[in-house]
Amino acid sequence: MTLAASQDTISQVTTDQNELIRKPRDPVLIGLWISLFIVAVIWLAPVVFITFTAMKSDGEILTSAAFALPSTIEWANFTKAWAKGNFNETFFNSTFITVIKVPLGLAISAMAAYALAQIRFGWNKALLVFVLFGAMIPFQVMLAPLFTLVNSLDLIDTYPGVILPYLAFGVPYQVFILHGFFRAVPKELTEAALIDGATHFTIFRRIFLPVSLPVLAALLILDFVATWNEFAMALVLLQDKHMWTLPLGLMSFQGQFSNKYGELNAAIVMTVLPATIVYLIFQRYFVSGLTSGAVKG
Amino acid sequence: MSQMSLFKSARSQGIVLLAPAIGIYSLFAIWPLIDVAILSFQDWNGIKPHREWVGLENYKHILFNDPVFWVSVKNTVIWTILSVIFPPVLGLMLALGLNQKLFGRASLRAIYYLPVIIAPIAVATMWRWMYDPFFGLFTQMLASLGLGSLTQDWLGDKDIALYSIFVAYIWQTVGFSMVLFLAGLQGVDRSLIDAARIDGANRREVFKYVTLPALRPTITIVLVLSTISSLKAFDIVYGMTGGGPAQSTQMLALWAFTQSMGIFDFGRGSAVSVVLLVITLAIVVPYMRWSQAREEASR
Repeated sequence: MTLAASQDTISQVTTDQNELIRKPRDPVLIGLWISLFIVAVIWLAPVVFITFTAMKSDGEILTSAAFALPSTIEWANFTKAWAKGNFNETFFNSTFITVIKVPLGLAISAMAAYALAQIRFGWNKALLVFVLFGAMIPFQVMLAPLFTLVNSLDLIDTYPGVILPYLAFGVPYQVFILHGFFRAVPKELTEAALIDGATHFTIFRRIFLPVSLPVLAALLILDFVATWNEFAMALVLLQDKHMWTLPLGLMSFQGQFSNKYGELNAAIVMTVLPATIVYLIFQRYFVSGLTSGAVKG
Repeated sequence: MSQMSLFKSARSQGIVLLAPAIGIYSLFAIWPLIDVAILSFQDWNGIKPHREWVGLENYKHILFNDPVFWVSVKNTVIWTILSVIFPPVLGLMLALGLNQKLFGRASLRAIYYLPVIIAPIAVATMWRWMYDPFFGLFTQMLASLGLGSLTQDWLGDKDIALYSIFVAYIWQTVGFSMVLFLAGLQGVDRSLIDAARIDGANRREVFKYVTLPALRPTITIVLVLSTISSLKAFDIVYGMTGGGPAQSTQMLALWAFTQSMGIFDFGRGSAVSVVLLVITLAIVVPYMRWSQAREEASR
């Protein structure tokens, strides 16, 4: 479904280019293009400003113009920020939590979505509403009871203590998307396989998982970025600075070294870079992952 | 094969597949939701072994004795109204533009969407530096345009701090509305537009009578999602002002957090949370009914 949609876009883009060559230019379109271009420049400006500042020495920041190219690249900003901001630990913690949480979350969501879509319990619909409900509720309202719960399980400042809540709040959206996808597969297919003696576990693993790889890829990328960027829950559940993730480290860096402009901006760049790279590589999955749920559902 | 017999029926296999997700979800997402409601009727500092029932005391306090609560209600309302207007309207305009056959539109789309994937806390840090009253981007640009007198203490002036944060919020969220509108526009029947053009409709008429009606479901979705995410605004405010100066940018989500985790009054913090929760439910429940009815109609 999503794959077909993105192929449509690709073929559409190629025909667009052909038409651009053939048609005489429409003045309205040229005006439109110019305004879109100006907005794009404005949208990109903060990113350019931060990146340039990160590469300038503190002296140059105070004397040079905001968008002037750095005269030499001040790599020391990055190495100093890395050391002062304790990036060794925060980078490792963020990576570890993301690498465990994202595949595990997708696996349990896919299993649940399959069961809800393909096995008749009699209360499928009620259970689905129960799960979807969570996608709409802001977890920000429950930070205090979440802390209380994790504390009572003695899991504050541990990896499971933050991964388990992350899993819980990832389930609703992923089940929602995958359920929509699995439901579109005819039940007859599952029933035929059951008659042949396959269990639901086999059908899920051998038929549904391979078929849904494009959707899983889209959800994987979206969830990677969401987990990498998460701040509020980590703030409550990770008190020990050796357990901090990158967003917590950046926040504390800002608090302590806000007058070290070059280093602060280098810290921002290093925090943001991994998600940006993932985004630039897997761009089209973001769009298909977001829209397949929100607009078609 | 004793293991097989345990999982023989489709039902028990299904329960095995459901159990991890439903179990973790119920314990770590639904239980805290219930607990926040319970806590809002109790007096607790987070450490004492006993949580004491106080009835409606916490609600009485936040409603009648807590001026900051009302400031945060006011700010949340302003923030939500602004969030429902600006990012969706800008997003729709960008999507309509990008829906035309334009050179480089894939790159343009990528640029508008880029801020969405930046961590909100990093957006806060970036913009805090850009708003620096001495060396920040805005001060520098105004100075180079000879408008240095317009420079403000963007985040330090309590009359404008909320709006300064909101500008950063627009920058971050427009791309999200845009992508949803772009997807909605794909669903607008091309032949209807062509037919209207042949019948002599101009661009504005086509938009008003063909595109806009076809976009109505998308518009509803974008407005509801914008409302919900505006109620959740937390990271960006926490990172830029922490609710200050003088509580002038305080909002419900942040105030609930500050009460509970900052000054360890879990009861009052939870009461604030419940207020926010009720507002959210008042929007979410009708929306979920609407989208279910729509889905059933489309089947």
